[in-house]
Amino acid sequence: MKVRLPFRPQQAIDTPYSIQVEGLTKRFGEFTAVNHISFEVKKGEIFGFLGANGAGKTTAIRMLCSLLQPTEGKAMIAGYDLATQPKLIKRHIGYMSQKFSLYDDLTIFENMQLFGTIYGIPRKELKDRIFSRLEDLHLADKSKTLVASIPLGWKQKLAFATAMLHRPDIVFLDEPTSGVDPIVRREFWNLIYEAASHGVTIFVTTHYMDEAEYCGRISIMSHGELKLIGTPTELKEQMQVDSIEKVFVKYVVR
Amino acid sequence: MPTISVQDLKKSYGHIQALKGVSFDVEEGEIFGVVGPDGAGKSTLFNILTTLLLPDSGTATVLGRDLFKEYLEIRKSIGYLPGTFSLYPDLTVEENLIFFATMYQSSIRENMSIIKPIWKQLMPFKKRPAGKLSGGMKQKLALCCALIHKPTLLFLDEPTTGVDPVSRKEFWEILGTIKTQGITVVVSTPYMDEATLCDRIALLQEGEFIRMDTPANIISSFKGELVTLRTDDIFKLLRKMADCTLNCTFYPYGENLHVIFYDPITTALPAFEEFLRQNDIIYNNLTQIAPTIEDCFIEVASSSGS
Amino acid sequence: MKELRQILKKEFTHIFRDRITLFLVLAIPIMLVLLFGFTISTDIHHATISVLDLSNDSQSKALVDKITASGYFEVVSYPKSEQEIDNDFKDKNIKLAIIIPSAFEEQLTNEKFVTIQIISDVSDMNVASILNNYVKAILNDFTNDFNGTATMPIELCTQMMYNPEANSVYMFVPGIITLIMIIVTALMSSITLAREVETGTMRMLLIAPVNKAWVVVGKVIPYMILSFISTITIIVISVLVFKMPIKGSVWLLLAVCIVFMLTSASFGTAISSLVKTQIDAMMITMMGLFLPTALLSGFLFPIDNMPYFFQVLANIFPGKWFIIAIKDVMLKGSGFFDIWLYMLILFAMAAILMTVSLIRLDKRR
Repeated sequence: MKVRLPFRPQQAIDTPYSIQVEGLTKRFGEFTAVNHISFEVKKGEIFGFLGANGAGKTTAIRMLCSLLQPTEGKAMIAGYDLATQPKLIKRHIGYMSQKFSLYDDLTIFENMQLFGTIYGIPRKELKDRIFSRLEDLHLADKSKTLVASIPLGWKQKLAFATAMLHRPDIVFLDEPTSGVDPIVRREFWNLIYEAASHGVTIFVTTHYMDEAEYCGRISIMSHGELKLIGTPTELKEQMQVDSIEKVFVKYVVR
Repeated sequence: MPTISVQDLKKSYGHIQALKGVSFDVEEGEIFGVVGPDGAGKSTLFNILTTLLLPDSGTATVLGRDLFKEYLEIRKSIGYLPGTFSLYPDLTVEENLIFFATMYQSSIRENMSIIKPIWKQLMPFKKRPAGKLSGGMKQKLALCCALIHKPTLLFLDEPTTGVDPVSRKEFWEILGTIKTQGITVVVSTPYMDEATLCDRIALLQEGEFIRMDTPANIISSFKGELVTLRTDDIFKLLRKMADCTLNCTFYPYGENLHVIFYDPITTALPAFEEFLRQNDIIYNNLTQIAPTIEDCFIEVASSSGS
Repeated sequence: MKELRQILKKEFTHIFRDRITLFLVLAIPIMLVLLFGFTISTDIHHATISVLDLSNDSQSKALVDKITASGYFEVVSYPKSEQEIDNDFKDKNIKLAIIIPSAFEEQLTNEKFVTIQIISDVSDMNVASILNNYVKAILNDFTNDFNGTATMPIELCTQMMYNPEANSVYMFVPGIITLIMIIVTALMSSITLAREVETGTMRMLLIAPVNKAWVVVGKVIPYMILSFISTITIIVISVLVFKMPIKGSVWLLLAVCIVFMLTSASFGTAISSLVKTQIDAMMITMMGLFLPTALLSGFLFPIDNMPYFFQVLANIFPGKWFIIAIKDVMLKGSGFFDIWLYMLILFAMAAILMTVSLIRLDKRR
């Protein structure tokens, strides 16, 4: 059986932005997790989304991926309206997180096939895409290996490849490199650069401040608010410090 | 006598060798860091040293007691903060602390002096279920619980993974105050920058210590010449570097590119500048710098690995 | 002891914070008893029956009148032969057939001894058993009217069809008690112990210098208390609402229940010492203990009718011994010396399993 998302010939609005957020807010009862955040991300940009634990990053990402209904505010994701076209948004975005990426008890190929099928990629086409991706990663001969038995670094690279299978316009990466060794982290960022160079928008969270420097622009969230946005250089000049780590510490502690 | 003394510890799960024979000593009162990526064997090592897991072979003494025969005695004097959150999420902050204090025949009042700096930060959340704390606060509570019986040796398994930089900084400040109380600390971390905060570190990769020394000595034993440079399109530069025939290792480092030359800098640097010119790379700030622990890890791992 | 008290306190905190589980644990037994009780004992009015009256005299007619007047029965057919009775069971769906022998009045007067035959449809054994009891009561009444004495001149000869080993309706109370105790003690303690392994808190307890027996005992006691409350609820409801007799000592009954709770809890801890996840603990307890107990303990199907292999297998599940013991106490009025062996078996099972789980728990792997 083929799983397909219902297709409606709706045109995405053509803008230079792939994410436009205005006054996005989420309240849980009395508690405001995300408080009127507004920003834009250009197509093909690598956008770093930083913040302390509990600052509201995860809530914000869940809203942008249309998993959570915002209390207030508007957002256009990949040219579709978050309020009225959540299904189309889901079709045009990819998502990967540190906490859940691939099923341990399935093989590499089975995992990729599963997620590819969910996004409605035709079987033949899917197989070609999977093997060409695996070849790029030099993993073609490992396609029948159980995910449980491969190192974390590979797993994260594969999860990224899987999230890219349906050629999304935007990928959301939630702490994709947590706990991965310095060499593999850099290999992972190579993949990110490559995807961005093909016009894919990257929306990434990380606790590694050196990775924040790899981003085109970064934003730092604190207590549900997002007031600091800019290129790493701009932010460092603005806060008069020499590293993003210091920007972060200075901004979040206040 | 060292606080921990380990000889040739080995442990396998099925055909996977988690520890391939590690030996080391930890001296009393030091912060000993085990630095390495996920899956390198850190948790296995910690589970063995905290008497939860039996190694396949090797010998070890912890606090002067034999790991195999006197493990019940060892348990009384060690504190352990596991790599995954291991408190009761439905009990409040206070209830968790009281519970673990009682399990060690201790009480909050008795050892308040040790946990005071951390407890002060937790006080506002005293009545909150532990599962609803933020990542940094969870770790602080776990540290409180690990310290509540006044251990002389503390094991911290990746206490700062997934924790934001501010909370990490606070956490390490707390470790500093713990050290002043004479408690020996063994801590693992995947963050290389935290390694410099340890007295001695061991770089662990694929079940083996690839280097063990003080951070300063590890940095001074760096083989090669490190230079840094800055460019607007780092990805373009990385692709071009793939064709570079110089004997070097290169990787992005924050907004810079780091290059390790294995040839003398006097010949390597001019050759590299020539290469950049040929490929029309606009760059600035090309300078030689002292390596960080992260540079050392990459240097050691890339020469021992492939 | 301070540690044990703290573990107990923690365990009760878990229980009271998890309102849904607490509600289910306390409410399900009540629902089950009421469900079983009412669906079994009510709604048997106007049961359809056939009467084959071979004597057709005034006394036999009086008996039939009395049976219909009771309101329990409705005579839908008066067959002429036993062959027709068989057809009535199939075509008219009668629940019961009564055969009154020829010369009923004469035998009743002269010989003071008559045999009446009842044929029941025991495909629903509980209905059949209740209807039989009704007939017995009516016949008893009828004889009293006839000669004013309490002796029973009419002997009832019951032939049960489709299920010759019909069990008493009172079987369901011991059965429910057994199953509830397995759910609350075995299932809950195995799941919550596995939860400690899953969340890593077991690791924290293991490296603490606390006696491991207390960890297990502290885990098990709260669920034994909950289970004891459920058991008492079930017994009270069965006695008050369904007139379940307790012929033996109530204290002995409760003592048997406590021993079974221990056994059940030991099964739970033993299972949890084998698994690493809550799901595994739940599946093994349900498939390995709950279902076999329901099927093999004699609660739903009589053990004597099982293939030999299953009769032997039934012995290793504690439910069988427990059900025998409480049935004997409640229905037969047996005393301690009648059932001590069953209690010993249950206790021995508990002791072995508890030892095994403690050893496994404390072992470094």
